[in-house]
Amino acid sequence: MPPRASAPLDVGLVRDLTLPHLDSAYNLARWLMGSPQDASDAVHTAFLRAARYVHTYAGGNARAWWLSIVRNCCLATLAARRPRDVSLDDMEADSAAALVATAPDEPEEKLHLAQSAARVLQHLERLPREYREVLVLREIEDASYREIGAILSVPIGTVMSRLARARQMMRKALNAPAGAET
Amino acid sequence: MNCEAARPQLEAYLDGELDRSSVDALEGHLATCAACRGELASLEELRTALRALPAHHAPADLRARLAAVADLPVVGMPRSAPRTTVWRMAAAVSSGIAAGVLLTIGASQWNGAGRGASGDGALLARDLLASHLRALAASSAVDVVSEDRHTVKPWFAGKIGVSPPVVDLQAEDFPLLGGRIDYVADQRTAVIVYGHRKHVIDVFMAPGAAHARASESQGHALTPCVLAGQSAWIVSDIDADSLRRFRSLLGCGA
Repeated sequence: MPPRASAPLDVGLVRDLTLPHLDSAYNLARWLMGSPQDASDAVHTAFLRAARYVHTYAGGNARAWWLSIVRNCCLATLAARRPRDVSLDDMEADSAAALVATAPDEPEEKLHLAQSAARVLQHLERLPREYREVLVLREIEDASYREIGAILSVPIGTVMSRLARARQMMRKALNAPAGAET
Repeated sequence: MNCEAARPQLEAYLDGELDRSSVDALEGHLATCAACRGELASLEELRTALRALPAHHAPADLRARLAAVADLPVVGMPRSAPRTTVWRMAAAVSSGIAAGVLLTIGASQWNGAGRGASGDGALLARDLLASHLRALAASSAVDVVSEDRHTVKPWFAGKIGVSPPVVDLQAEDFPLLGGRIDYVADQRTAVIVYGHRKHVIDVFMAPGAAHARASESQGHALTPCVLAGQSAWIVSDIDADSLRRFRSLLGCGA
């Protein structure tokens, strides 16, 4: 997308708006894209887009404005990729399953502890994208309902219902006996 | 409150999104209901587990890539004057060339005055808005913090040799917040900053207001006015009535 004369890069302003929230942007992209390289590429693309469309920032919450751009870049990449690649969720589930399967013969108590973080990771990665992203934004990025609504362009009621469903799915998956879900 | 009413509120409670009176009612129920306490504990357990996941921090090479973007020659608000001034000049020259090319193609009557007034006006409007939005996004919208006009006025005089009109409108609910210096249309420009409720009002002592018209961009009004014989621009997202009141209090000429 070449720069247009009517919308030149305003890198100074966009740095002020985005760089304080670069970790949040990368974290969101990482959870949406799955790999560090894809996450970095998406954030880079988002930064250029933010610079080009910085005039769309109308004041207010800069993090929400910036994260919505990052998310749109991630979704655009995922949508373009979908026809020829394996589903991202399948890939993630496979790699996560491999991670869980690494400690089969530990004593039961220790096994439970060692597996818990890996299982949480696995199930979060397996959640459908619309549930995964609300959970990441709320629980890891500590975003408010309002902020999440702004990032996803959905009403707060939708944020709440997705969040409730995401938590329900996660708790159900984590409470199931290990191995039963595969 | 019973469990049926309490359950749907547990998550909003956990997320700190419940209003005060609902919190009181819910906590009253929680004190007496072990089942709902258990449900809340389970939600908290999930939160603890999710927050214990390793954090993904932006890698250094990504920061380096973005820094490289930030060093491109751009038309924008300069961060540090000496280097970016060169970029701005280069950009101005190239856009001048582009404008010249367009005029030649159009075989029109270019009178040597350079780019048309509307082009300059758009550039100015963009600079004003960018400066305003950047100040809003920064931790503080002002470089000199003062509610006293006798501090703000000399501060500008000492910095850029101008003495902009600064008025005390505290009693009218437009308190003076301070001042800053920003770049608008390639010039160091005095910006006097007032507040109104939770809004910020920037008054730019920038040229071009005399024959300009008010405009609006992304919910921010750009209002030209003449203050004590000097060209000025008011940029804010306050409502139209407040803006009208502010203009008359300031003593804006049309």
